[in-house]
Amino acid sequence: MEDLKLKATPRNVLGKKTRFLRRQGITPVHLYGHNVKSLALQCDTDELEHLIAQAGRTRLISLEIDSDRPRTVFVREIQRHPINHELLHVDFYQVKKGEKILVDVPIVLVGEAPAMKGKGRMLVHGITSLSIECLPGSVPPQIEVDLSQLEEVEQAIHVRDITLGPEVTVRNDPEQLVVKVSQAVVKEAVEEAVPEAVEEVEAEVEAKAEAEAPAEEETPEPPAAES
Amino acid sequence: MLQPKRVKYRKAHKGRRKGSAQAGNTPAFGDYALQALESAWLTGEQIEAARRAITRYIRRGGKVWIRVFPDKPVTKKPAETRMGSGKGAPDHWVAVVKPGRILFELAGVGEKTAKEAIRLASHKLPISTRFVVRETTGAGVQPKELT
Repeated sequence: MEDLKLKATPRNVLGKKTRFLRRQGITPVHLYGHNVKSLALQCDTDELEHLIAQAGRTRLISLEIDSDRPRTVFVREIQRHPINHELLHVDFYQVKKGEKILVDVPIVLVGEAPAMKGKGRMLVHGITSLSIECLPGSVPPQIEVDLSQLEEVEQAIHVRDITLGPEVTVRNDPEQLVVKVSQAVVKEAVEEAVPEAVEEVEAEVEAKAEAEAPAEEETPEPPAAES
Repeated sequence: MLQPKRVKYRKAHKGRRKGSAQAGNTPAFGDYALQALESAWLTGEQIEAARRAITRYIRRGGKVWIRVFPDKPVTKKPAETRMGSGKGAPDHWVAVVKPGRILFELAGVGEKTAKEAIRLASHKLPISTRFVVRETTGAGVQPKELT
C-alpha cells in the first residue's frame, strides 16, 4: 500500500473568519494527540478530499507541516456541510510509536449468503463498525465479514465470530449482532388497523385536555347583523 | 397517524424556521435516506403517506426508520368565524423540518429499490428532497450492493 502524504501550513485565521479561507479553496484542519500540543493548520481542499477518499479514518497519513519532520496521523473527525456536503473541518490525531490507540474500523460484508436465495429473505445489519484497540501500524483498513457462512434462516454473525490478529483487541460487546438472515414478515393487514387505534387515542387526549382547560374554550361569535 | 400520546400544553407558538437542520442531518440507522432540502411543517398525514409509499414498494424485506415526529400542534379557527376571541382549536400535528433534515432511512434493500421507494415517498411530501447514501468511514470501503 502506497504511503499517503499531505501538506499543511500553520493557520492564523481562527473562529468565524475561517469561512473566508473556505471560499479560497482552503480547509481549516486541526492536529492533536496524546501529549501533543494542539495545532491549527490549513490544507488545500481538493488535496484533502482526495486524501480522505483514499485514507478514510483507518490509514496512516504522513502530514508535512512546512519544513518540519513529517508527523504520522489518522483522520479523527470529518465535518461536512449538511446540505452541500462541502468539507468544513478535519481533525487529525497524531499517533506515537508503541502507544495503543482506539479506532473505529468499518465492517464490509463480502460474498453471497446461501440463505438469501429463498423467497422473502432479508439481510439484517447490526453494527457497521468495530471499535478496536491496537498499535497504529496494525490498524486494518476495513474488517471483511464473509457472508458465505450464513446457510440457514435466522443464522447470524456476532462480534465474537470475527477473528482478528492477536495484536488487535475488540472493544465491542461479543454478543453484538453484525449481520443476520431473517424471514421478512408482511405487515399489510396490521398496517391498515393501526390508524383506527391512533384515532381513539387522539379522542381521549382531546377529551382530557378539554376537561383540564375549560377556560380556554371559546364560544363561536354570533354573526353580526348587517346594516 | 403519528401524534403525541400526551402533551404538556395543547397549543404552541408558530415559531420560526430559519437556518438548516443542526441535528438529524446524516443517516444514522439505515444505508439509504431521504433528506429534506427545504423547510416545512410536515403533517402526520404526509409522513404517514410517505411511509406507506416506502413500505408498499419494498414489500417484504428491508427496514424503514422515520426520523421525524409531528409533535407540534397547529390550531385552526372554525369556518366563517370572525377574527379575534383567542386562538383556535387544535387541528392537526406537524413536524418542523429544516433543510438537511433526514426524514426516512432504509436498510436491507438494494440501492435501486431504495431509490425508487424514496422517489415514491418524495411525491407525498410538500418539499423538495433528495436521496442520500450513508457515508462509509473506511479506506476505499464501498457499500455492499444487494439485489
